[in-house]
Amino acid sequence: MGRYLLWRILRGLLSVVIVVGIVMVLVYSGLDRELVFASDPVYSKQASNGRTVYKMQQWEKYGYVDYVPYTEYLLTKVRSGELSQEEYYAAASFADTPDRDSPEAARWIEAFREEYEKAPWQVVRLNADKKGSSEKYKEGGQPRLFAYRDIPVLGRLGRYLTGFIFIDTTNYVQENIENRGLTFTWRDPVYGGEKFSPAILGNGTRHKYLLYCDSRFPFVHQNFITLNLGTSYAVSTGSEVWETLTSPQGSFKPSYVTYPTGVQAYTADDLHSAQYAAGSLENGTNTLRAHFTDDYTLVRTHKQGLSKLGYSFLIGILAVALSYLIAIPLALWMARKRDKLPDRLGSSYIVFIMAVPSLAYIFLFKAIGGSLGLPTTFDMENPSYLMYVLPVISLALPAAANLMKWLRRYLVDQMSADYVRFARAGGLSSREIFRQHIFKNAVIPIVHGIPAAVLLALTGAIITERVYVVPGAGNVLTRAINAYDNGVIVGLVLFYGVLSVSSVILGDVLMSVVDPRISLRR
Amino acid sequence: MNDQELFSFVEINSLETEQITAPRYSYWQSVLRTFFRRKINIAVLILLGVVLIFTYVYPALIGYDPAVDPYINLLDPTAKHLSPKGAMEKFGYNIHWILGTGASGQSTFDAVWYGAGISVSLALLCGLINLTVGVAVGAIWGFSRRVDAVMTEVYNIASNIPYILLISVVVLVLSASFFSMVFALTVTGWLAVAYFIRTQVMIIRDREYNLASRCLGTPLWRVAFRNILPFMTSVIVTLAAAEIPAYISYEVFLSYIGMGLSEMSLGRLIESAQSAMVTPGWGFEFWSPVAVASVITVVLYVVGQNLGDASDPRTHI
Repeated sequence: MGRYLLWRILRGLLSVVIVVGIVMVLVYSGLDRELVFASDPVYSKQASNGRTVYKMQQWEKYGYVDYVPYTEYLLTKVRSGELSQEEYYAAASFADTPDRDSPEAARWIEAFREEYEKAPWQVVRLNADKKGSSEKYKEGGQPRLFAYRDIPVLGRLGRYLTGFIFIDTTNYVQENIENRGLTFTWRDPVYGGEKFSPAILGNGTRHKYLLYCDSRFPFVHQNFITLNLGTSYAVSTGSEVWETLTSPQGSFKPSYVTYPTGVQAYTADDLHSAQYAAGSLENGTNTLRAHFTDDYTLVRTHKQGLSKLGYSFLIGILAVALSYLIAIPLALWMARKRDKLPDRLGSSYIVFIMAVPSLAYIFLFKAIGGSLGLPTTFDMENPSYLMYVLPVISLALPAAANLMKWLRRYLVDQMSADYVRFARAGGLSSREIFRQHIFKNAVIPIVHGIPAAVLLALTGAIITERVYVVPGAGNVLTRAINAYDNGVIVGLVLFYGVLSVSSVILGDVLMSVVDPRISLRR
Repeated sequence: MNDQELFSFVEINSLETEQITAPRYSYWQSVLRTFFRRKINIAVLILLGVVLIFTYVYPALIGYDPAVDPYINLLDPTAKHLSPKGAMEKFGYNIHWILGTGASGQSTFDAVWYGAGISVSLALLCGLINLTVGVAVGAIWGFSRRVDAVMTEVYNIASNIPYILLISVVVLVLSASFFSMVFALTVTGWLAVAYFIRTQVMIIRDREYNLASRCLGTPLWRVAFRNILPFMTSVIVTLAAAEIPAYISYEVFLSYIGMGLSEMSLGRLIESAQSAMVTPGWGFEFWSPVAVASVITVVLYVVGQNLGDASDPRTHI
């Protein structure tokens, strides 16, 4: 069974990789990349050469191109020692048109062209754009020189997959720092150094806290291995996709913390999330310097609410539980009273859910719930248990209809099996036969869907979350598509792909556990 | 006739003894007979007829065109967002006003049926394409193990590409027109149908009568299309019954999240009336397209399901 499962997992991962590749082709090659600027307020303010350069910079961020400005090329030469600081200024000041370049600049531009003027790279030199015959530049009209290339699909896929899992090591920090290494402590300094709370702190790593405990589920957290699904540019500017999905939302939630300098404060800063930011202490404000002793100053904040995934999963899992609670007894009842009133009523309900557009019945549930006095919108600031009621019901009732449809079908099929007649002849009551024999056999195909129902609750429900204004994960994909945020699209596709592949495999495993007749051996 | 004539021996006719006299059985006649045996089916069929007349005949009859709606009253603010009662009092008792007026003073009733025409056409076309391609591919897929290995991987991959993403890319690359939407909905949509048919084919492909057929030298495609597909008529009809309402619902869903058609379909109507729903007294504008969409889908679904039941030969006895 182990080997078979391994084979299934590998094949599943392969298909996820192919899916990510296809989606990359779709979003990076299928879409017109000018659309990125369709609703960009900064873009419309840019003019002349400045606009071309801004486009290149944005495209590099969104992952369309590799873009190297001439000055950046020169800076790498300075770093490698081929160019001194004084020579750099001479080389970097290229003139308005090529024929007016100083010999020093011309020499380095030639070298730059030599390095980059081979396919697929392209070197672009934009001459100065001046106001009429005067010597003044138009806005954004300074001369520009840069090289760029389109990133090929396979290269992009490879780059993405190799950077997917980030393992934190003490060699992460490139700058010269002292005392690289990990330290273990029984008493976490964040809590003032008194309270018992083991933690592993790193120096030279990306995260300061590599292992720590707090009062949030699952209580022990690690930062050794983090997922990197890509970076978002439009949906939540500059933060990682995974962080967008998992970081708490809502208003700040302050608590008493002890900063590394020993200062105690009532603040929402989450010191456990501290990340390295080169030179941040030196260039920071006075308050920052009063709080921190090293460059691990990039902290997130504690928030009142759950994360996007958190809300979606909470609502989803409650709905899944409720739908099984409703569907199993009702389906049993329908099957036992076949072609009688309960069956007729249940079947009409199933037809209603199957046929009517989901939008219609969700609004119907909302209207009914609203008239009963239940809250119809989600409020993160004033959380109450009641606000979960309508979203959960709106998700659970349709899911229950689907479950009832299949479970009733399987039950009815089993009822005409030979073993039922035999058990009846053996003197068992119909109640016993239903509970002990028919139900156990009929529920096996239903069991297969449980992992999928649980795991796919993480992806959120688009309409339900929109209708009840739930800050969940359901509308992240649509928002990303509308904002052409390719990083988020690809990251989400990878996440959803892994979820659906693993839910199918888990379903098979669960089915073979429930029914010993099913073997996963080949 | 006297007794002599009545009780005489009949000659043995060897030709007639070879004839098998069974009641004449015509499959489709039996399907119809079973279908009409239930009175509710007649009622639902009449309802379907009415719905189809309103979706296709009514807008053509009044020559409805959403761009030059004759009842648009942009200049008259008192003509907008009227309830049925208000509209009828204002404009007279006429079929146009039984659902009130919309945001630009147009007749909701006319707009809803025009939109229904677009939505139903979209669903029918998508259903037709998906079922034709899906059934043909599924029949081969279920039969050949080599095709199975390839197609299962294709299915695993295609089913993991989010539908919304695919649709929005197609819409952005082509346009949000009717036919690009049909293309977007069917480009991977047939795979689900094919997968379902594949499973059904696998269940019955190794039955004895197919084995016998193969032993007698029937080519594989003939077994697939003549022995197995007729066996699955009821399954296919049931599938079609679920498919077409599902596409209407999906169109409504896509328009609601802002990725739908550019034409004034039911989904677009619902989406544009969303803001009216929260305003007290304007709710009718939102609920009427929702209700019409629900009636259409329920009627189509029930007719299809019952036709599917009737086309199962086991119900013919």
